[in-house]
Amino acid sequence: MHAMLTLAELTSDQELIRKLLFCATLLPLVSSIFTLFLGTKWLKKQTGQFAVAAMAMSFVCALYAAFKFTTGDVEPFTWAIPWIPIPGREAGYLYLGLFCDQLTVALMVMVTLISTLVHIYSIGYMEGDKRYERFFCYLSAFTFSMLGIVTANGLMQLFVFWELVGLTSYLLIGFWFEKKGPQQACKKAFVMNRVGDTGFLIGFGILFAQLGGKVLLPATDGGMFDAIAAELGGKAEIMANPPMWLTIAGIGLFFGAIGKSAQFPLHTWLPDAMEGPTPVSSIVHSATMVAAGVYLTARIFPILTPAAHLFVCIIGLITLVMAACMAMVMTDIKRVLAYSTLSQLGYMILGVGSGAYIFALFHLVTHAFFKCCLFQCSGSVINMAHHQQDMRYYGGLARKMPLTALAYGICTLTISGIGFGSWSFLSGFYSKDGIILGSYNYAHALGGWGNLFLWGPILVAYITPFYMARSFALTFLGKPRDQHLYDHVKEAPKTMVGPQLVLALFAIISVPWILPWEDMIEMSQQSLVANGVTWIPGLHELHEAHHGIAAPLLFGLAGLLMIGVGIWMYKDGFGKAEFLLKKAPGLKMLHTWALNKFYFDHLYDVFIVKMTKCFAGICSFIDKWGVDGLVNVAGIWTKGLAKFTGGFDNKVVDGLVNGAANATRAGGQALRTTQPGRIRVYVSLLFVGLIIALMFALTLVAN
Amino acid sequence: MTMLALFQPGLYHLLAVSIALLTAGVAVILTKRNAVGILMGVELILNAAGLNFVAFNRYVWANAVDGQMFTLFIIVLAAAEAAVALAIFLNFYNNFDTINVDQADELQG
Repeated sequence: MHAMLTLAELTSDQELIRKLLFCATLLPLVSSIFTLFLGTKWLKKQTGQFAVAAMAMSFVCALYAAFKFTTGDVEPFTWAIPWIPIPGREAGYLYLGLFCDQLTVALMVMVTLISTLVHIYSIGYMEGDKRYERFFCYLSAFTFSMLGIVTANGLMQLFVFWELVGLTSYLLIGFWFEKKGPQQACKKAFVMNRVGDTGFLIGFGILFAQLGGKVLLPATDGGMFDAIAAELGGKAEIMANPPMWLTIAGIGLFFGAIGKSAQFPLHTWLPDAMEGPTPVSSIVHSATMVAAGVYLTARIFPILTPAAHLFVCIIGLITLVMAACMAMVMTDIKRVLAYSTLSQLGYMILGVGSGAYIFALFHLVTHAFFKCCLFQCSGSVINMAHHQQDMRYYGGLARKMPLTALAYGICTLTISGIGFGSWSFLSGFYSKDGIILGSYNYAHALGGWGNLFLWGPILVAYITPFYMARSFALTFLGKPRDQHLYDHVKEAPKTMVGPQLVLALFAIISVPWILPWEDMIEMSQQSLVANGVTWIPGLHELHEAHHGIAAPLLFGLAGLLMIGVGIWMYKDGFGKAEFLLKKAPGLKMLHTWALNKFYFDHLYDVFIVKMTKCFAGICSFIDKWGVDGLVNVAGIWTKGLAKFTGGFDNKVVDGLVNGAANATRAGGQALRTTQPGRIRVYVSLLFVGLIIALMFALTLVAN
Repeated sequence: MTMLALFQPGLYHLLAVSIALLTAGVAVILTKRNAVGILMGVELILNAAGLNFVAFNRYVWANAVDGQMFTLFIIVLAAAEAAVALAIFLNFYNNFDTINVDQADELQG
């Protein structure tokens, strides 16, 4: 057995933070288990409050850890215990532990905060559901899995929680499994994620094959991939001329992120996941599941080669533009938000790929707040509108639900990235601004067609305000289009409005000059740079360039402009939009395409589902005629043989036995006539016999 | 051989008596249907055998008393047999109200 790995001693501050993070991670699990066992019998009504309390405690732990971390000037640290021994491998053990740097702490705070608010919101939203307590059990387990990913110490542990997220999201999306929609949606989400996970495993396998047990080692103080990076030698030199396998491994790992973050080829599950309860959508789309993919991409950033970066950027760009187009035409309020999430995730992935990795993660945090808020608002509307999700039946709801409208409005402005020059009072501006600057640098370095990486994000920066204003105007402004629905709508209960307003508040105060999100994540960047990541053009200069160019002005004001256009067009329903579609046939075609989600579902249906079914049919045919045929022939043969042996048994063996019996019977019949039961007969026979015997004896004596 | 010698009792006379007894016993058994009669026939046969033993012992092997011993046993045997047989007949009579042996054919297969 190899000697156990010795890790650096933790300082007292680090030890405290370790314990806090440990508690923060495990509290949701405890809550999940408790609600599972207690909720069904005794605490049915209180499970919600119980889960909220646990999550709030978890949030407090995370917040205190973050406070300690930032104020105490604590170095990133790692802590691990041996878990599973691996005989004959360098690592000796699989480790289970905790890795903590600025990013971990920041995401812990964000995830626990949002999860707490979603738990509170769920108390109102899920009220009266017959599986009320189970919902909280799943939701807490989901949060636990995400916290596990964030604190994971090494790829292997990350993958365990990665799969847990997949499982719990499956349970949550399919929560109302009696209906057909959720059934299909949860299956789709799970299968799509499996496709991505296959890529993850391939990437992991390549790393394992090339680097050996080192990839199983826990993170060192330097970072998640320090051991791997050290194995690669001088990183800058390696990256200048990277080996092919490293590119493929990076892309493979990124495929896992494609699945979880619903990027371009595997994006179709996310809009369908809308079938789940709205609190699930709000947490899936913000803090947990889709964030996991971006987080992974950011963590594997140091081992992505330039080619892999390009791949990541292309995927991000395609998702970004495509999803934004789809969001423009959807009429289901949740679907608009779902495609908006896809588009924003495209921003983040593009940001990571182009090297604006800090801003991508910053955008992850700010997006988590405003998208969670938007979903909760839409959930409130849907809940009040008797589960009518189609915006064609809404209109003028701001008068009925002013607080929800306010929260939705704030978040619409935030996601639109409203800004004035280089200053804004909304967080979305700063994070999106950073990503666009990153892609600007990347496009600049690539040149030529690489300029797409600049124009794509800028185009979407124009589209985003438009579709968000559209959904806002259609839902909250203008005249009610369904009077009956309008009459029944009222403001959502406190447990639902409260979290919305808190989230809207965080969407505002996450600006860098109030909350230090960006600075916290930026510190991780410094350690990255110190580790020698220099091949991304302009990574150092990015922050300096932040205020240098006119782009912020360009799209900051563009946001305002496009919001105006959107509200003007859709304030009074669909009239103006339909007029425009009639006048411009090209637009009409694009509209149809986008409405059909660019036919991706059809494509997958034809090429994957149908092909699979066809293949299954062929397999079934072979099974039926080939395999079953063989079995049947064997059966027939056995039957024939059995018949033969049966006949032999019946005729010959039984014949012998019966023959013996018959012979005995016949003999008995014959002999019974000699036993008439008359004494005189016996006696006369006796004497006749005696006389005969005597005669024999006499003849013998005579001779 | 004189006529006197002819009437002198000897082995042959005894055997003749024995044969007469045996024949009479057999005849009784063959003709009688009455169980007691048959028992009497059996007694005659047994006595014929006993007479034979005594006669042969006297004239062939006079130094020993084996024959006499045998005859004593036969007499005892005959008494025991008569007791058992009479018990059987009594039982038979209780069950069938007759001692006609032709009726006793229950054991016929």
